[in-house]
Amino acid sequence: MAEYKNTKKILSDDEVRKLVMARLSVLSKDTMISLGSEGSFTRDELIKSVENGDNIGEKLAEIQLEWLRSFKERVAV
Amino acid sequence: MKMIVTRPQYDITTKYLSVWAGEVINFAQKKKIEVIDLFKDKANKNDFTGRVKKLKPDIIFLNGHGNDDCVTGHDEEKLVEAGDNYDILRDAITYALSCNSGKILGPKVAENNEATYIGYKDKFIFVADSNYSTRPQDDPRAKPFMEASNQVMISLLKGNRAGEASEKSKNKFKEHFMKLSSSQADPDSLQAAQCLWWNMRNQVCLGNLDAELK
Repeated sequence: MAEYKNTKKILSDDEVRKLVMARLSVLSKDTMISLGSEGSFTRDELIKSVENGDNIGEKLAEIQLEWLRSFKERVAV
Repeated sequence: MKMIVTRPQYDITTKYLSVWAGEVINFAQKKKIEVIDLFKDKANKNDFTGRVKKLKPDIIFLNGHGNDDCVTGHDEEKLVEAGDNYDILRDAITYALSCNSGKILGPKVAENNEATYIGYKDKFIFVADSNYSTRPQDDPRAKPFMEASNQVMISLLKGNRAGEASEKSKNKFKEHFMKLSSSQADPDSLQAAQCLWWNMRNQVCLGNLDAELK
């Protein structure tokens, strides 16, 4: 996973991973997320993926970062 | 006016997509549009290609898995592919509710100036509640995703131009995103908000943005 940069901060791979895992850990047990042909995953499966740094974990990190960027855009609006 | 819908159903994701596509079918039928519903194993390449060539539908609604260059039907059979039969979509407005096909397949279809392709250039992601997997239509966590997606088709069927239909869908994603990301939101809502934002950012409308159903 590449380092994610904006103008003021740099988030390392490990920091992003920890952030995503923290967010996933507070989800309800019955929540599942469908990631297309990758399948549908429970909270615990998603946490494991992020820990392992597999494709699913990387995609979740990407989604998290896209969401964080959205704040900047909304402020601009 | 004719509409072809593909609704494979063989895993949780395709079950949700196919059930929620039922709302679009009902809406179209109320508007007296002829609906050809390729459900479950009818969503195969032979049936799909044959029906499109013979009936020349005005609008095509693809539900299923996909990747950069194709959209699949039942049991992941490729229905339409960039290097193969993509040109069968050239005379219709197509909405593909599938992952990634807006990356290569969509632009390939849109090379024809008359064709319109609405899809997603990355994964279409949704949140659901496992307690509702046998009745996806009642799943409150999936509802914002499916409503926002269906808005493309509902808008087209109401006569909006393709570009407007995509904008209305994006606005619906945004509306749900704003509701779910409020400061009082619970962790599940915040996760859903992230995924709604993701889908909104990845929806693309390619080709003839002024295409409309007449």
